[in-house]
Amino acid sequence: MTHRSNRTLRVAGLARVEGEGALRVRTANGRVDDVELDIYEPPRFFEAFLRGRSHREPPDITARICGICPVAYQMSACLAIEDACGVQVPAPVRALRRLLYCGEWISSHALHIHLLHAPDFLGLPDGIAMAAEHRPVVERGLALKKAGNAIMDLVGGRAIHPVNVRVGGFYRAPTRAELRPLAEQLRHALDDALATAAWVSTFDFPDLDVPHDLMALRDTEGYPIDRGVPHVSTGASFPVPAFSEHVVEHQVPHSTALHARLDGEMYLVGPLARYSLNADRLSPAAAGAAADAGLGPVCRNPFRSIVVRAVEVVYAVEEALRLIADYEPPEPAAVEVTARAGVGHGVTEAPRGLLYHRYELDAAGLVVSADIVPPTSQNQSAIEDDVRQLVTSYLDLDDHALVSLCERAIRNYDPCISCSAHFLDFHREDR
Amino acid sequence: MNAVVVGVGNEFRRDDGVGPAVARAVAAHGVRAEVTDGDPVRLMEAWGEADLVVVVDALRCVPATPGRVHRVTLDGAVPSATSSHGFGVPEAVELAEALDRLPRRLVVLGVEVAEVGFGPDLTPAVRAAVPGVVAAVLDELRLGGAL
Repeated sequence: MTHRSNRTLRVAGLARVEGEGALRVRTANGRVDDVELDIYEPPRFFEAFLRGRSHREPPDITARICGICPVAYQMSACLAIEDACGVQVPAPVRALRRLLYCGEWISSHALHIHLLHAPDFLGLPDGIAMAAEHRPVVERGLALKKAGNAIMDLVGGRAIHPVNVRVGGFYRAPTRAELRPLAEQLRHALDDALATAAWVSTFDFPDLDVPHDLMALRDTEGYPIDRGVPHVSTGASFPVPAFSEHVVEHQVPHSTALHARLDGEMYLVGPLARYSLNADRLSPAAAGAAADAGLGPVCRNPFRSIVVRAVEVVYAVEEALRLIADYEPPEPAAVEVTARAGVGHGVTEAPRGLLYHRYELDAAGLVVSADIVPPTSQNQSAIEDDVRQLVTSYLDLDDHALVSLCERAIRNYDPCISCSAHFLDFHREDR
Repeated sequence: MNAVVVGVGNEFRRDDGVGPAVARAVAAHGVRAEVTDGDPVRLMEAWGEADLVVVVDALRCVPATPGRVHRVTLDGAVPSATSSHGFGVPEAVELAEALDRLPRRLVVLGVEVAEVGFGPDLTPAVRAAVPGVVAAVLDELRLGGAL
């Protein structure tokens, strides 16, 4: 096909993304007419589902929205409910939450880097080919993921849908002795994480600098994971309760996920935003890894997000080691959170970016309304824009090459299209 | 023989919750059971070092007979025709093979489903099939000497 003809590119089922999505690109007369990323995501279903539930339930229910980042959902939910009830958890509870969250970052990023994203840079079709051709690297990645899982198992009660988290803290806090073997495993993981950062920095990155505003949390100290205040690359910042005044979601016809705008502009959350707004907050090893990998103080190339994720893994491992060394078991493991009528907001940094929860409770502590804004729906407009830019720049490529470039542009963001159903399907649409 | 039962699916997608429902029922018999979303890596992690793995998953067939159970076994060999674009079980098997992590014996029980829209409950035909699938899983475990 020549670039002068009208083309429609379709990707029915995006490979190597978490969940199900589809992409349609239409070009006409050498111009890109239309880019649609379809996401079948039903946050509204869960919001409806939460109404009338007790204020203790959202952490467990919302964690099941996403088997990929349950801790993120639990943490944003806990913060929002505690905010509504006027409770601030004590420092030891917060530290244990941050440790649990580090486990999720390590596990989620390690999987994406090694099996979902790296194949794009190595010209391989999938993680299976990756495992066959780069087995030692994949084994290292899986060992790293296992270290993250081990944190979630021990602190969260299990790796998938942790059961030990509750509003106010934990059902049971691990003892110092129980955390000791974890430190041993994490010391090995730190070597693996540093090796991973060095390895991904050798990849060949297509040129793309995105102009979008970047939004991430920033905290009084440390890299933002379990709390912070929203900051924007424009220099703006706003308090958490003002989130819905700045971020406005709207429905688009081709997708069940809502598109979001930040003060009317397209914007990005996630590793690029977090790093660009918080590079000065990295731990020594992570800052060293970032410098060695050639990252500057700001990173706006989505293809390089794999490097940022690798640096964040180094940070999360180091931070977990620090939290274990300083660990004082919270006593009691949870503070009492008495229900009252009110509205609460919670934001944390999920591996894929800022995750906002808002709950309104009545006097009996039942949920009157719930609002959840996940990172992937915030990024959707910007992802479509990246695809539009790439297609415009590379119209001369044949369909196959162009489609794979578009898929790469999407995978850069590790989109999580949650609530998808998976089947042993007898009928697959050939791409 | 150490064994694990893995329920694959999403409890908030109607009949896709059949795997998790079976896993929970089996766990009540004191058997190690895991629930996972079908991602190949997480699936492989769920079976870990077990010698015998029983996977229960939802199966979409056209035309469908909701509640009908299909059984596929794998004894240390991979069926050659699995597509690398498949989701979940076939991909997990291929990945595990590349990494020498295949269990000695893998049994997949696929339950034909009717509805997979958003919602928390199984449809009647699939719900009615759960006790039979639980019994079939327990039989597999006895057969493998794990119960």
